[in-house]
Amino acid sequence: MKGIGKALARTPFAVTSKIGMSKKSSDPEFDDYHRHFVSLEKAAEALIKDTKTYTDAVMTLFMSGANFAGHFAVIFQPIAGEYDLIGKHPDAAHTIRNITKYETALQEMKELITPEVELIETRILGPAKELQAVMKTIRKTITKREHKLTDYDRFNNSLTKLRDKKDKSLSDEKNLFKLEQDFEIATNEYEYINNALKQDFPRFMMLVTQFIDPLFDSFFYMQLNIYYLLLEKMNSFADECKYDISNTPGAQIVQDYESKRTDAWSLIENLGIVKRIISVSRLVQQSRAQGLGRQPSASTTASTSGLKAVTPPARSVSSASSYKGPPPPTSSLSQAAPPPPYSAGSSVGSATSAAAAKRAPPPPPPLKPKPKPTPQVKYVVALYDFAAQTDGDLSFNAGDRIELVEKTESAEDWWTGRLNGAQGVFPGNYVQET
Amino acid sequence: MSWAGFKKSVNRAGTTLLQKTGQIERTVDREFADEEAKYRIFEKECQALQKDSKAYWDAMKAMTSAQSRIAETLETFYGAADRSSEGAMAGHAYKRSVDDLDTTFSRELDVPFRTTISEPLGKMCAYYPVINEHITKRNKKLLDYDSARSKLRKLIDKPSEDPTKLPRAQQEHDECKEMFDMLNDQLIAELPQLLDLRVPYFDPSFEAMIRMQAKFAEEGYEKLSGVQRYFADNVRDDYAAGQLDAQVEGILQEMRELSICGGN
Repeated sequence: MKGIGKALARTPFAVTSKIGMSKKSSDPEFDDYHRHFVSLEKAAEALIKDTKTYTDAVMTLFMSGANFAGHFAVIFQPIAGEYDLIGKHPDAAHTIRNITKYETALQEMKELITPEVELIETRILGPAKELQAVMKTIRKTITKREHKLTDYDRFNNSLTKLRDKKDKSLSDEKNLFKLEQDFEIATNEYEYINNALKQDFPRFMMLVTQFIDPLFDSFFYMQLNIYYLLLEKMNSFADECKYDISNTPGAQIVQDYESKRTDAWSLIENLGIVKRIISVSRLVQQSRAQGLGRQPSASTTASTSGLKAVTPPARSVSSASSYKGPPPPTSSLSQAAPPPPYSAGSSVGSATSAAAAKRAPPPPPPLKPKPKPTPQVKYVVALYDFAAQTDGDLSFNAGDRIELVEKTESAEDWWTGRLNGAQGVFPGNYVQET
Repeated sequence: MSWAGFKKSVNRAGTTLLQKTGQIERTVDREFADEEAKYRIFEKECQALQKDSKAYWDAMKAMTSAQSRIAETLETFYGAADRSSEGAMAGHAYKRSVDDLDTTFSRELDVPFRTTISEPLGKMCAYYPVINEHITKRNKKLLDYDSARSKLRKLIDKPSEDPTKLPRAQQEHDECKEMFDMLNDQLIAELPQLLDLRVPYFDPSFEAMIRMQAKFAEEGYEKLSGVQRYFADNVRDDYAAGQLDAQVEGILQEMRELSICGGN
């Protein structure tokens, strides 16, 4: 009740001083300290907020780092029924071998980081919050001072007004006496609190600086420790798994990445299932058109269908639409194809079977005719990897340019070519004429 | 939905119901089911990967920018005292190094992260809706096929008066089968290919990720540890011995005892 009474008594003055009708006194010295104090208040708040953001970010970093590693590991491990990923993808063997170690390393990191973050919470965030609490009590004192100042000004104003009044009535005289008393009390109270603040402020400011020094030092070492932890774990992982993590510019990482990027990108892009279906009936028409185009090649429909890119009657395919007809299933291919020589197809070496699984290359043609020399130099580009199956075969990788020495009428045949100084025969349907 | 589409979905709903009650035989395609199950795992993992990689990246950024802001706040605190004090000098050095870290980070790692992690993942994840559309289409065509087949069987078992009915049913059955086979064969052929290609597709990202993580740690550590030069010699040991915490506590206590804090 007392508080409400006081607030009511102060309101008229607050209004009149705002609109400039009554004088408000100010103390420049105090105002200076006060400004400073306000900036410290804001700083404390910002410190608490940013420290929280920081710890949250650190936690998320390590959490999602571990999760990332976990999911990456799943992707690089056989999924339900798959087997021998390393055999199928020798290029990725390094990754496949080390992915589990990576997962463990990041998992360990995540566990190591928790105490560090707790340290920040108790040793930095805690004290910072206490500082804020201290500041709140000071803020209370400041508010009290404001009130006392209002009282002081209020009585001061009334007193001056009454004193300046020419003819004072009896009650005015009485009031004057009362006001003088009130004014004296208000003055004393205000002076007391104002002086206390002015006296303690410099001391407080100094303490704040002393406070922030060790706090900052601790915080610094905690941050440094987090980076150190990360660095050390990464180093030991890289050491163990033979990764070169010497500090290189970011552009170098991009460059190395680009150079390692395989044709998997374009192969995926070329899959039929990643293209939008516009109309199923149109697809059916297309596949029929392709089927018709292949009819002349008689009984080998199944095997030729895999060579969409190689089969001559491509006109019907390209004219139908930009949509690439669906390649036939690998399974039906290996079933329906005539048994290839050397029992190639499914059970050659792991490398070829990998290539077979990867790109479903057509089976090599059944017969090897004797090579006949031809004069003109022509090049063909390899569409698939081909590994030599016997002496006299020409091995190559997809994309290689092979000098064509001898070719026959049919692509379903063994052609002769030269690559890197070696000459040998290869299946004609593995290449595309330039 | 178009009228034709509506009719189709009503018919299919009927087929599903009849299948549930056992009136129409349902085609069981183990081969497809297996491939789809594997694909689903892959899809889920990839999406999780995308989410986590984004969180990881954002956290890295949040870390450095929070440090930058903390450094700024420290300057305010030191502004209270003279700027040439040892602490203020260290604070200033700290600010310089975390600002440096913040800019290096975005300058050096922004593009690599996007090229090596976000883009491949984003591209892969963008394929899923399309593939799922193929699967949905296939499932719908399977229903059509099942229903057409059961109609045909009934007609064969119980020949109708109308002689044109059987050939028509036969033709419908063939068409449905063709559509379904086409979609189904494509999925069965290409889903394993897609799954298999994931390895070479994501392989280079792994090394890039490791290198970026290492780079982040190394830059952070190197830049920050340089600040130590500005510290008094005993600070490191004091920190290790927990002295600094005691100092902080002591000063807080002193503050509380100030008369303006009501400590009197």
